[in-house]
Amino acid sequence: MLIAALRDLQWRKRRFAIAIVGTGLVFAMTLVLTGLANGFRVEATRTVDSLGLDAFLVKSGATGPFLGSAAFAPNVLELPGVSASVPLVYGSATMPDHDSARSVNVFGAPERGPGIPALADGRLPSATDEVVVSNTMGKTIGTTVEIGSLPLRIVGIVDDSTALAGQPNIFLTTAGAQKLLFSGQSLITSVGLQGRPSKSPEGFRIVDRNGAIDDLLRALSGARQAMTLMAGLLWLVAASIVGSMIYMSAMERTRDFAVFKAVGVPTRSILAGLAMQAIIVAVLAAALGGVLSVMLGPLFPMRVDIPRIAFLLLPVVAVTIGVLASVAGLRRAVTVDPARAFGGP
Amino acid sequence: MADLRIKDLVVEYASGQESVRPINELSLNVPAGSLAILLGPSGCGKTTLLSCLGGILRPTAGRIEFGDIDVTALDAGALSAYRRNTVGIVFQAFNLVPSLTALENVMVPLRAARMPTKQARERAEELLARVGLSHRISHRPGDLSGGQQQRVAVARAIALDPPLLIADEPTAHLDYIQVEEVLTLIRELASGERVVVVATHDTRMLPLADNVVELVPHLDADEHEPETVTLAAGDRLFEQGTMGDSIYVVTEGEIEMIRELATGDEGVLKVAGPGDYFGEMGPLFALPRSATARARTDATVVGYTVQGFRELLGTLGSRDLIEHKALHSES
Repeated sequence: MLIAALRDLQWRKRRFAIAIVGTGLVFAMTLVLTGLANGFRVEATRTVDSLGLDAFLVKSGATGPFLGSAAFAPNVLELPGVSASVPLVYGSATMPDHDSARSVNVFGAPERGPGIPALADGRLPSATDEVVVSNTMGKTIGTTVEIGSLPLRIVGIVDDSTALAGQPNIFLTTAGAQKLLFSGQSLITSVGLQGRPSKSPEGFRIVDRNGAIDDLLRALSGARQAMTLMAGLLWLVAASIVGSMIYMSAMERTRDFAVFKAVGVPTRSILAGLAMQAIIVAVLAAALGGVLSVMLGPLFPMRVDIPRIAFLLLPVVAVTIGVLASVAGLRRAVTVDPARAFGGP
Repeated sequence: MADLRIKDLVVEYASGQESVRPINELSLNVPAGSLAILLGPSGCGKTTLLSCLGGILRPTAGRIEFGDIDVTALDAGALSAYRRNTVGIVFQAFNLVPSLTALENVMVPLRAARMPTKQARERAEELLARVGLSHRISHRPGDLSGGQQQRVAVARAIALDPPLLIADEPTAHLDYIQVEEVLTLIRELASGERVVVVATHDTRMLPLADNVVELVPHLDADEHEPETVTLAAGDRLFEQGTMGDSIYVVTEGEIEMIRELATGDEGVLKVAGPGDYFGEMGPLFALPRSATARARTDATVVGYTVQGFRELLGTLGSRDLIEHKALHSES
C-alpha cells in the first residue's frame, strides 16, 4: 500500500509539512550543538598545532602546559632527543571591551620561535610591550590595546586563533608574557619541544600533542557534557514529533486500514506504507536540518564546526528514530479489526 | 460453479455482562448465479452474517461452505487469501479511501494480489468503464456523488472477479435515482455463476431477489381472545431469542425474566408478580424476545395480543406500554 501511503502524504500535506519543518528545526539544533561541542576541540587543536611544537615539558604535578600548568624557573631546557626546546608562558588576562571586559588567552614564546603561529600580517613581537593578536579581536596593526592594565602595541595578526569557546589568543615574547602575568618574574609554565625526548628529567613529565589539546579542553568538559545531553534530548523531541504524527495518521486512517484488511491487503503492506511515511518525513527533515544548521552556524559567537560525518549520519539516525517512533502507530494498524469496515459512516 | 451453504450457524458475543446471539442456528443455501437478500431490521444480525461470509468474523458454531472451501475452518493466512481472491465486499458507507482517486481505489485489491501496476491500472479502467465511470477515474471520492461512489465501491469489489459478492446496505445514503443505478448493477452482477448476497432493510430490492431470507421471522399477529396459561415452578413460558405475539399479565405466582450472561450463567432481570406484565417489547416492535420467562413458583398468566393489551391500558395505551406503566395506574 505504498501508493496509498504516498497519497495520504499528499492528502495531508500541510500536517506533514509542519512535522517536517518542526523536526528539521530540531535536527538543525542538534547539528549546531554537535558543531559547538566539536568547535571547542577544533579550537584547541588549531591552537596547539599552530605553535609548531611536538610535546611539552611540565612539572610532575601539572596536568598540562596550559590550564593545568604550574609555573617554574626555566632551568631545564636541554633535553636529549629534541631538536629545539623553548620556554613558554601561558595564562589568562582581560582587556576592556566597550563597557565590559573580555578574557584573552596569553601565550609567551621566544622572539625567534617556535611557539608563535604563522602570521597573516605584520611581524613577530620583539619587545615586551609588543603583541600579536587574533584577527577575531577586530584590531589592526599599530593599535595599542590595554591588556591586564599594560599597554601593548599590536605588531602582528594571526588568523582565527581562539581557545576556550571563542576567547582570542594573543602572543608575546616570553619576557613580555612574564611581565604581564608574573609581574616580570622569570617563571615559565612549560618547555616547548620539537622532536621526541627519550626521557623526562626528574620532577618533570612530557605531555604530548593530544595531552596538550585535552588540557585546553578541560575547562569546557562540563559544557560539552551539557551539550551532549541537550543533543540527546533533542533527538527525543524529534522522535516525539515524528511518532505523534504517524500515530495520528494511523488513528485517522483506522477505517481505511479496516477496509484494506477486509479486501485482503496483507497487514505487512499496511505497515510498510506507514513506516515509509515516517521515513520520508525523517529524511526530508534531516535534509532541511542540514541546510538550516549551515545557515544558523555563523550566527553563534563561538566556532560551530559540524563534522562531515554528522551530516552523513543524520539521515541514518533520523530514519532509525522515525521508524522506532512510529511503533505506536504501527501497533495501532496491526490491531485494527477488519470488521470495522462494516460499520456505518 | 460454487454454491453457498450455511449450516446451523451460531454467532454469540458478550455485550457488557450479557450474552447476545444475533445469529442462532441459521441454515441457508444460495445456489451459484443467484441473488439472495437478507432482510431484517437494524440489529437483527445481517451485518454479522455478512462478516462471517466475508471471512472477517469467526462464528461461534456451525459451518459456512462456499464451493469446496470450508470458510469456518480456514486459518488467518488462508482467510486473508479467501477475502482477497474469493469474496468481493461492498460496504454500507462505500468506504473508499478519500486520498485515492477512483482508479486507485479500484486498484487496491489488484495490487494486493500482486498484479503489476500497469496491468492493475488497465483492469481498473476496464471495471470503471463497466460501471459507467470512465469519465471520473481521476476524481477523488469527495468529488463524486453517492451513487458514483457506490459504483466505484462495486468496481473495487469485483476487481478480482470474485465468485462471491456480498453487499451491506448498498442503497443506504442514496437518492432514488442513484438507488436505481446501483440496483441495476447488482442484478447484473448476479448473472452468470456469481453468488450475490445483499443485506438490507430496503424492501424495494425484494423484486430483484432469487431468494429472500428474513432474519427476523415475520409473525402474523392474529387477533385472538386473551388466553390463560398455567405454569408449574420451573416451567419456561418463552425463550430468549424467539418470536412471540403475546404480552403477559401475571394473575398468580411469580415469573422471573432471565438473560444469559457472557460467563454462561443466568442473570435475573426482574421478577413479575400478580398484577405485573411482561414481554411487551417483542410483540410491539417485532423483535425477538430479549429474555427468557420462567415460572419462579406455580403461576398463572394471561396472554394478550398487542391490540388487546392496548385496550386494557386505555387511552394512553401505547405510551404507557413503552414506558411500562403499571396497570390501573392512578397517574
